[in-house]
Amino acid sequence: MPPISTATRIIYWNIPGHGWMYAALVPVLALFFWGIWARVRRWFLGRGAPGEGAPRRHLRDALRLGLMQRLTLADRGPGLMHLAIYSGFITLFLGTVVVFINQDLSVKIMYGWFYLIFQSLILDIAGIVCLGGVVAALYRRLRVRPDRLKSGGFSDLALLWWLAAILVTGYLIEGMRILATNDPWGPWSPVGYAVARLGADLGLRPAAALIVHRVTWWFHMAIAFGFIAAIPYSKLFHMFAGPANIYWHTERPGGALPAADLEAEHLGTPDLAAFTWKALLDLDSCTECGRCQDACPAYAVGQPLSPKLVVLDLQGALDAEAPALPGFMQGMRLSPSARRADGHDGEVATEPLIGGTIREETLWSCTTCRACMEACPVLIEHIPLIVDMRRNLAMERGDMPEGMAAATMSIEERGHPWRGTTSSRTDWFADLGSAGPSRAEAGSTGVRVLGPGDEADVLFWVGCTGALDPRNQKVVKALARLMARAGLDFGVLGADEACTGDPARRMGNEYQFTMQAEQNVVTLGQRKFRRVVTACPHCMNTLKNEYRDFGGQYEVMHHSQLLAELLEEGKLPRTAAVQAAMGMEGAVSPRPSDFKVTFHDPCYLGRHNGVYEPPRAVVAAAGHSQVEMARSRNKSFCCGAGGGRVFQDERGSARINHARGRQARETGAACVATACPFCMIMMEDGAKAAAGDGAPQAVRDIAELLAEAVFGAEEA
Amino acid sequence: MKALAVVTGRGGLELLALGGASLSFTADVAQECAARGASPAYVWEDPLYERSGAEAGLRAIEAAVRAAGADVVVLAADARGRDWAPRLAARLGAGICTECTGVEVAGDGLRCQRPVYGGKATAVFELKTPVKVIGVRAGVLGEPAAGSGGGAPVALAVDTAGSERWPQRVEKVAEQSEGPSLQDAKVIVSGGRGLGGADNFAILKELADVLGAAVGASRAAVDEGWVPPSWQIGQTGKTVRPDLYIAVGISGASQHMAGVAAAKNIAAINTDKDAPIFEQARLGLVGDYREVLPPLIAACRELLGK
Amino acid sequence: MHSVVCVKQVLDQDIPPRAFRVDRAARRPDVAGAPLVMSIFDGNALETALKLREAEGGGTVTALSIGPKGAEEVLRKALAVTADQAVLVAEGELDALDAAARAALIAAAVRKLSPAVDVVLCGRQAGDWESGQVGSMVAEALEWPCVTLVSHITPAAGGKVRLRREVEDGYEIVEAATPVVATVTNGEGNVLRLAKVRDVMMAHRKPITTHTAADLGVSGGAGGAALVDLFIPEKSSKCEFVDGKTAAEKATSLVRKLRELKVL
Repeated sequence: MPPISTATRIIYWNIPGHGWMYAALVPVLALFFWGIWARVRRWFLGRGAPGEGAPRRHLRDALRLGLMQRLTLADRGPGLMHLAIYSGFITLFLGTVVVFINQDLSVKIMYGWFYLIFQSLILDIAGIVCLGGVVAALYRRLRVRPDRLKSGGFSDLALLWWLAAILVTGYLIEGMRILATNDPWGPWSPVGYAVARLGADLGLRPAAALIVHRVTWWFHMAIAFGFIAAIPYSKLFHMFAGPANIYWHTERPGGALPAADLEAEHLGTPDLAAFTWKALLDLDSCTECGRCQDACPAYAVGQPLSPKLVVLDLQGALDAEAPALPGFMQGMRLSPSARRADGHDGEVATEPLIGGTIREETLWSCTTCRACMEACPVLIEHIPLIVDMRRNLAMERGDMPEGMAAATMSIEERGHPWRGTTSSRTDWFADLGSAGPSRAEAGSTGVRVLGPGDEADVLFWVGCTGALDPRNQKVVKALARLMARAGLDFGVLGADEACTGDPARRMGNEYQFTMQAEQNVVTLGQRKFRRVVTACPHCMNTLKNEYRDFGGQYEVMHHSQLLAELLEEGKLPRTAAVQAAMGMEGAVSPRPSDFKVTFHDPCYLGRHNGVYEPPRAVVAAAGHSQVEMARSRNKSFCCGAGGGRVFQDERGSARINHARGRQARETGAACVATACPFCMIMMEDGAKAAAGDGAPQAVRDIAELLAEAVFGAEEA
Repeated sequence: MKALAVVTGRGGLELLALGGASLSFTADVAQECAARGASPAYVWEDPLYERSGAEAGLRAIEAAVRAAGADVVVLAADARGRDWAPRLAARLGAGICTECTGVEVAGDGLRCQRPVYGGKATAVFELKTPVKVIGVRAGVLGEPAAGSGGGAPVALAVDTAGSERWPQRVEKVAEQSEGPSLQDAKVIVSGGRGLGGADNFAILKELADVLGAAVGASRAAVDEGWVPPSWQIGQTGKTVRPDLYIAVGISGASQHMAGVAAAKNIAAINTDKDAPIFEQARLGLVGDYREVLPPLIAACRELLGK
Repeated sequence: MHSVVCVKQVLDQDIPPRAFRVDRAARRPDVAGAPLVMSIFDGNALETALKLREAEGGGTVTALSIGPKGAEEVLRKALAVTADQAVLVAEGELDALDAAARAALIAAAVRKLSPAVDVVLCGRQAGDWESGQVGSMVAEALEWPCVTLVSHITPAAGGKVRLRREVEDGYEIVEAATPVVATVTNGEGNVLRLAKVRDVMMAHRKPITTHTAADLGVSGGAGGAALVDLFIPEKSSKCEFVDGKTAAEKATSLVRKLRELKVL
């Protein structure tokens, strides 16, 4: 055995004329960089530019989510698979860099322990890891065939086979070299060594190994170079666009939507040029992993929406409008549009973006629940993409589904979307009595209406649905009773409250949203209060995150947060069952002990605003044991109401709330708890539908459960 | 006070309650009017009435008013009556009240009561002009008087000069649904998810037939595919304004109530006593429609003599 | 063709009954702050006129309203859905005018318009007083024929129009020479369209022609019908649940109650 320090291998051994490789590298790199430039350049078809640098936090995000794969790993199996390919690929690339440094920069580092451990052992393992990932990916596509990968098609598979071929030929080269040179360090490259042994066992003589080595080497180089050149022209480009997309991700509070420019040439996005440059970057960074589609409730029940296909179809339109490849090469391109167009590339360019590339029903099916954005490993912003297209339909074309149009008209005419309601905004508290104009006296259950100039500690923003829908009136009433019981000084706006504009904005009518926001900011500015509390997550999101653009900065709380706080502070009593658990005597549970509650996370409370624990704490304080649905917290499955869908009758079997009703029923809980008026409407219906002929689960707001526990115990 | 009742069909015989003359457009209805004491009972039968009912009828009524020397013209608040009444009032310089739900004679004048603002308020109008025109809703004037006259119908001469310029009906299409349309129906029987299936709408239809009602449905029932979308009442369905809306197995979601906000009375049948529909209903029955509807239909049959 | 659509600003028809009050002495509704909207059948009439203009591939749609200055809002809304021009007959106390007087004002305003008007469309009845008289009386004042309960109008040969008329058991097609008056009811496809935001913005900049009764040469109405009382009918605010031990008893009881309400 020669001394360790001499351990190395001869680069370009057995490859006479390897200089040609450098010659070939020139066009390959040209193609590579030209492709990157072509794709980057087309982002600037969109509006705006990445002017002000993204905050340093974004660099951290890019490292954490890109380099460290944090979000990709959130989906364990595929995440590990990707990690294998990704880490193997990077390690092997580093190996190539070592060769480059050693050979071309003449810095002789490829010797001794470094050669043995890194350049031999680790690279061999990296190759196996990468190959393992590739095999797993092929297995998923060819055998498991999950629905979310079905759009992948030929290029998806070709890239994997291609990568596998590079890896396998690499081992073959290594094995032949070890066999032909009888390399004493061979065992440090275990896979290559195994190939060499196998070759020897099969009777391959060193002379033959020399030929196999040389042929394979050139083949390996050819396909590896081809692979590099293909990166910017295929979904492999995500390795650059993904981290870029994360780095430049938009900073917006909670579930706020980006504002629309009402003075722009077009309202919304009738064509690609009307999107922001960042939206076009979104399109290019898609890895086609399909997690968004898996998470999408509309897709799950068979509605004509897949967030993944929205992105890929738009990407296809972008390819048609600004091809990344020169015309003569377009037939060869591997990007999704080529597949989508089934070889009829020309048609993509001629069809309109909305109504052609993206169907109108697709756009209107979105509940803006954010499940897709939550799942996306590269932070693609699907909701703004969809809402921007809705904006064009709603504002420029005046084209909306009937129910949404009716809600829009009603907001315009009467400040709320519930045309035909038989209540006024103050009816719900008629039998609670009204409190005097001064601060509510302790023990008064009355509700005070705040006029201009009035003051209260808490402004209770009731919301249209809470005030006007009979089922939800019970919720806001329960909440008002609890607030009074806790001795809070609170008041409502009464007839002066108007729709926050949340549904209008999400249905694409930015103009109407602006009108509502401006009006409400004035109304709120005329009263003095410390904080706003609302039982509607949609109102909360808009008041808290969107009104700041209109000069309205408020401390806004959801009622789950307020109730949890009041319980924490001891201003509301925990229920008897809890007291019993704490060892208190004589406690009586308001419900049988097997009364289990499952909490349905409202999207605008949970995913959009990150409030997960307070509502559960309230349910617990009400004395109920809880059971979680398979999809809960940030993976919660929408009730189907968001984005204005609550106003649009769903037809046939493709109903999100029915699916959610079934999921809730599967828990075996006696009661579905929620904390959103839209969820209440949807889940009431969903629970009935899921029950079939049986008794439906009770659907209760968390405030109702707590009120039942607090007042039920006191009255008993 | 000399009244002229314009009776276009048997359903309008109650318009004779104020006495006086009548005008009809078919001999048998005129005969019936005469039998019930209309004097004279004018009749004008002419193909022009079928072709251009609005203009032809108007000319005939004008002729009858002159012939009878009538100072009150009583019309039904139906499609035809609503068409004629204002134009007649304009031609006669008459005071007019349409959609009357109450009519009483007050000296020389008439006091007419009618719902306004979607039935949320009631208005009383006084008509003091020499000639008055009233459009009266069905059932307001009570049962038609029993036959007491016996004079023969009198044929009326009507000047139809210029009829070639009148709008003409060129086509008539009867839609398949039997009974009144949802928009015009005074009574609507409507079913929702609580019915549990398409077949169960048959019993609703039976009740509707007895009441002369239209059958509607909530979105849920349409969604389930139990009934066609044209039956749907609600925010995205039809807006209806019946006097009575019988909701069977409908919970009363806001989307649905949007379509029935103008209903004057809602009677709800539902198993869930907490269903929101009861908060908006005038009358409520907590029970299973399968048990309730058969005796309900029987009771209605008995009441209406069908 | 030149169509004139009469649009009226009314108190929101969807004010919940519990929120609706009247000032009995003044004989008018007392609902301060309640929204004012375009009467719904007028919206159907407007849509019908817009569809006629589209079917014809040209023409003019004029929106016309009688009312106070604030009624300009419904005219702006008409302009926002692309009515070509708007006319307001300024009249502060609309409720003081009876149907005949309003019809006279509309007829006078229609005569002033150019080009000559071919079709006048009115909602079948206004969403407030619901008497359904003005449209027909406009026809009389103009001495034009009138077709009621129309839901769709298309141009026909010889300067005529074809009108779809909704009747009890279906619909009929009526052919009429112009000029003609149509009263419009709701039907399939004549729900007023959504305005496009650009048009809404433009509508705020368009001029509105204003007339007064005096410059139209119309003097006060005949006052044939005098409003002598306005009140809220007694209604049991709570649902009355029928009693009965058995389903049959409940059913019988329900029928009796319905009979008492005079709805059966």
